[in-house]
Amino acid sequence: MKLVQPELQSRLSAEYVLGTMRGGARRRFEDYLRMPQHQSLRVHVANWEGHLTPLANHLPGVTPPERVWHRIDAAVSRNKTPALTGISSQNAVKTPASQGLFNSFAFWRNLGLGASGLSTALLIALFASIAFRAGQEPMMIAVLEEQGVARVVVEQPKSGMLMVKMVKPWKPSPGISKQLWVIPATGVPRSLGIINDTGETKFATDDIDVKLADGLVLALSKEPVGGSPTGQPTGKILCKGVIAKMPLKQKPRPQI
Amino acid sequence: MTTPPAPDQLANLLARTGMGDRRAFAELYEATKSKLFAVSLRIVHERQVAEEVLQDSFVKIWHHAADYAAAKSAPMTWMTAIVRNRSLDIVRRPNLEIADDEDYFASNMPDESPAPADALAAKRDEAQITRCMKGLVGEQHKAIAMAFFQGLSHSEVADKLGKPLGTVKTHIRRGLLKLKDCLDGQVNHVGDDGART
Repeated sequence: MKLVQPELQSRLSAEYVLGTMRGGARRRFEDYLRMPQHQSLRVHVANWEGHLTPLANHLPGVTPPERVWHRIDAAVSRNKTPALTGISSQNAVKTPASQGLFNSFAFWRNLGLGASGLSTALLIALFASIAFRAGQEPMMIAVLEEQGVARVVVEQPKSGMLMVKMVKPWKPSPGISKQLWVIPATGVPRSLGIINDTGETKFATDDIDVKLADGLVLALSKEPVGGSPTGQPTGKILCKGVIAKMPLKQKPRPQI
Repeated sequence: MTTPPAPDQLANLLARTGMGDRRAFAELYEATKSKLFAVSLRIVHERQVAEEVLQDSFVKIWHHAADYAAAKSAPMTWMTAIVRNRSLDIVRRPNLEIADDEDYFASNMPDESPAPADALAAKRDEAQITRCMKGLVGEQHKAIAMAFFQGLSHSEVADKLGKPLGTVKTHIRRGLLKLKDCLDGQVNHVGDDGART
């Protein structure tokens, strides 16, 4: 897809913002948006966002339930005091990189708080450089919940690695294993592995990125010790959560 | 909540959020949650999914608030785009068998009337975009409003309108072109979506 014509750029941007561009086309378009050389495309998208999104003001507000805020608060709390939340499991991984996004964000945020005299631009630049060097921007994050209660947080701190943290463990049950699955658009779950009953579990295998590539949802199922004998979930789903991919570097944030 | 807070106030909250200010973040959420939840709910339909969208979006907003300053769009535009994109990302996800049994559809859906198209027409002084939308012929207007508010694809709009896919694509394409002409012909501060007069 060559996007050299302004008219074509504008038309595709409009369909992207309107939402009629879907599926693979939408993902490819987003890839284009992230590429540094496509600044003009980002401008088109920003213009259309500026044009069309105000239409959303026409919608009457709908108050979300309280639990949404509690979950958000819980998710962002983790980066407030990363050193104190600790990693209890014997499988704890203590290198800064594997502790993932929260530490890195906490680091620059704390830096920012302590340096309020610095300009925002400088802080952003500083952050970008820290995040870039440390490579700590997570690739994705998912909060797995059971009836609205966050049980497990999964993040992919970097390519080839997955960190699973049990935030609210179940009562110990020796006869079962807890198996983590990724469910892609096709709906056929793929196993990511067995997780520890408490604390953190780290997966570091080459095929993680491939398994997660088109993943939409993560789910944890109750399985016989050692994992599902069939390769598909056989027991009860304990908790699940939608995958949030979080590209920050070269994000399609246009400067108009 | 029908009136969004002033853009300046939201920009301030976003800037403080970017500095790690949790209280500002909480205020930001309070000030925008109803609008943003409505935006997502209209697209994804299921309350539980809309809750997930709102949750993911605000976690993202928290992490990205610091570089909002680099975006020159209005705060509400910036946040609405995040919520819309997230909604559109997952609206087509398969109906998984792990879905909960509860029927989130049943009770708490927002009032579907007036229809989006009517809602647009009802607030004609809202903004330039509304004025320009008004300039579209009926079918173009209807198709674009349906796509925007309900997050429908071309073929879904075609189904709902009972029109051939090609016709709907043409309506939307021409409608968007006409919108662009109309908007380009006006003073260029439409992006400031929070600013009402």
